[in-house]
Amino acid sequence: MPAVDLSHITKSFGPVKAVDDVSFSIEKGELFGLLGPNGAGKTTCLRVMLDIFKPESGSVAILGGPMNESKKDRIGYMPEERGLYQDIPLDRCLAYLGSLKGLNPAEVKQRAAVYLERFDLAAVKTKKVKELSKGMQQKAQVIATLLHQPELLIVDEPFGGLDPLNTQMVMDLLREQHAQGVTIILCSHQMHQVEELCDRIVLIDHGKVMLYGALDDIRRQFSGHSVTVRTADKIPALEGVERIEPVNGTVKLHLSPGTAPQEVLRSLVAQNVNLEQFEISMPTLDEIFIRVVQGEGAAA
Amino acid sequence: MNKLWHVAWHEYRRHVFNRRFVLVSLLSVPLVMLMMVGLVYLIISLDINTTPLGYVDFSGLLADPVSAPAPEPPDRPVPILPFETEADARSALEAGQIQAYYVLPADYLSTGRLSVVHLGALKSPARIQFYNYLTANLLKSTDPVIANRLVKGAEIIVQSPDGSRSISSKNWFNVLVPMVAGIAFIIAMFSTGGYLMQAVVEEKENRTMEVVITSVSPNQFMAGKIIGDTSIGLTQIFLWMLFIVIPILVLRDTISFLRGIQITPQTLLLVIFVMFPAFVMVSGLMAAIGATVSEAREGQQMVGIISLPIWIPYMLTGALMSNPNSPLAIGLSLFPLTAPLTMLMRDGLTILPAWQVALSSGIQVFCAVGAIWLAGRAFRLGMLRYGKRLKWREVFARQRS
Repeated sequence: MPAVDLSHITKSFGPVKAVDDVSFSIEKGELFGLLGPNGAGKTTCLRVMLDIFKPESGSVAILGGPMNESKKDRIGYMPEERGLYQDIPLDRCLAYLGSLKGLNPAEVKQRAAVYLERFDLAAVKTKKVKELSKGMQQKAQVIATLLHQPELLIVDEPFGGLDPLNTQMVMDLLREQHAQGVTIILCSHQMHQVEELCDRIVLIDHGKVMLYGALDDIRRQFSGHSVTVRTADKIPALEGVERIEPVNGTVKLHLSPGTAPQEVLRSLVAQNVNLEQFEISMPTLDEIFIRVVQGEGAAA
Repeated sequence: MNKLWHVAWHEYRRHVFNRRFVLVSLLSVPLVMLMMVGLVYLIISLDINTTPLGYVDFSGLLADPVSAPAPEPPDRPVPILPFETEADARSALEAGQIQAYYVLPADYLSTGRLSVVHLGALKSPARIQFYNYLTANLLKSTDPVIANRLVKGAEIIVQSPDGSRSISSKNWFNVLVPMVAGIAFIIAMFSTGGYLMQAVVEEKENRTMEVVITSVSPNQFMAGKIIGDTSIGLTQIFLWMLFIVIPILVLRDTISFLRGIQITPQTLLLVIFVMFPAFVMVSGLMAAIGATVSEAREGQQMVGIISLPIWIPYMLTGALMSNPNSPLAIGLSLFPLTAPLTMLMRDGLTILPAWQVALSSGIQVFCAVGAIWLAGRAFRLGMLRYGKRLKWREVFARQRS
């Protein structure tokens, strides 16, 4: 049974269709990437998933069925728009947010102590939140999301505004949660981190699903648009090659649409080019993202 | 514990156990009242001059004088000294030993005429004490009970034909008690509403809204806020009552004025059936305002739309007092925002017909329910509008949120 299953979801705001017939499912224990450019409809998808917005059509199953109040205690959500209660001490703020997730005061105290120590915030727990630095507040936000040990963790742009050190810390934390069997939905437009963390992704643009599946399959699907060649010879003009780009002692040949790498290999051999290396380039997620968003890829 | 109570307790605790609440909300009204009482005492005290008064009696009335009853606090007794001759009295006056002296001529008992000599202003408390002294001596051969009645004067009691209501000329201030209670209630109502508005907009300002509503349902969250903030208002009213009732109970034996203060069961019923629903209605409206705006400061500007009609009866005090049963008064008693103060003001002045109380209360309850519905709807629609105002026509429009 999938942890999350969205089936043909549509949601509009006035004349704007924010999400248009979106379907995907996320398996239990998976670290799943929800990608898309700004304004693509990612956050709306999450809000529909979390029952903040009701879709006009389609259905959502989360943790085995429709969303209800008791399921809220099993979900940890760190929204893109983040914040904490500023005028109260940090420990009281965590206690309140923990209590809203069904934790009793003793549990909050015990778990918060562990996290505060780990995130180096124990010494400032009695300070008002507004007196903490931005980085400290972001770490406190992470604690508030994890305090109730959720089964499903949804993090929207978790690396936004973080310095490299804190970015690494959040990435380590997501890996750790993943290792513990927590299902994680990572919503981001920062491809590098998604590529490092996720096994499967869905890419949404203009409210529609553009790509969906295992990251390796998608990369393979988009491979073949360039080949890397290492040779001491000069590369002649080749049919089907749009651009030749030197990269660190090799040459990257960008192929025109419809040209297969094998055709280029045949042409090179036919023109007696001595090849030391010939490799079909696997595109980065960044490249795939740009190509899909610029309209090159087909909707999944 | 239900999450609703966590929200309510969080709200209550955050505001009530706060130095600002104690200083501004709790102590403000008692301090203002204390200042007003202090000011009245100061004004009275400025009139009190305990320098003795003198008299020269040629009529024989004060040959063997009796003392007058002691004046009521805050007035203090002024010694009254006899002088043999006007010259002696004049010397004492010029020496500052007395503030004035009266001369009772030989025909005083037949004419009632007397003269008074003073250099500075002779204030009325001292003058009244001398007249009381004269009255006591004029009546010294009369039966003490009758003399006492004469000194105390008549007490005119105006009574309704069915005898259910009466007002004494000595307790006239009871007319104002419901009005004062109404004003205190409205001040508490607005300060509570202010907390609520701030509380509703706060989650948007500090961006905790999404985390909160994925932990608790919007209805539970809103209900928790309303319960928490209404409890703050009730705490405020309860403590104000203590601040007011305790001094009255302590001082009523000393200050006769306080003995006459009464709160009738009818006033209490009006508070329960008209003021309390109005309290909830205003809280709901303030919460709805909070839900539509993106910053508390923006909401403050909209509060005037509610507060202005609520104070209209106060501005029309003269018209309501001169004719508490006029169509204007009845209209204001039924209009939701003007009803609370109008009903309490009229309560001190007239007999409120049962149908008017019932209808006004019904309208208040209906509007309170409507305001909560409005607040809930505005909240659901406006909760994720960061930095953007929700338009009222969106609140009333039929659409799925």
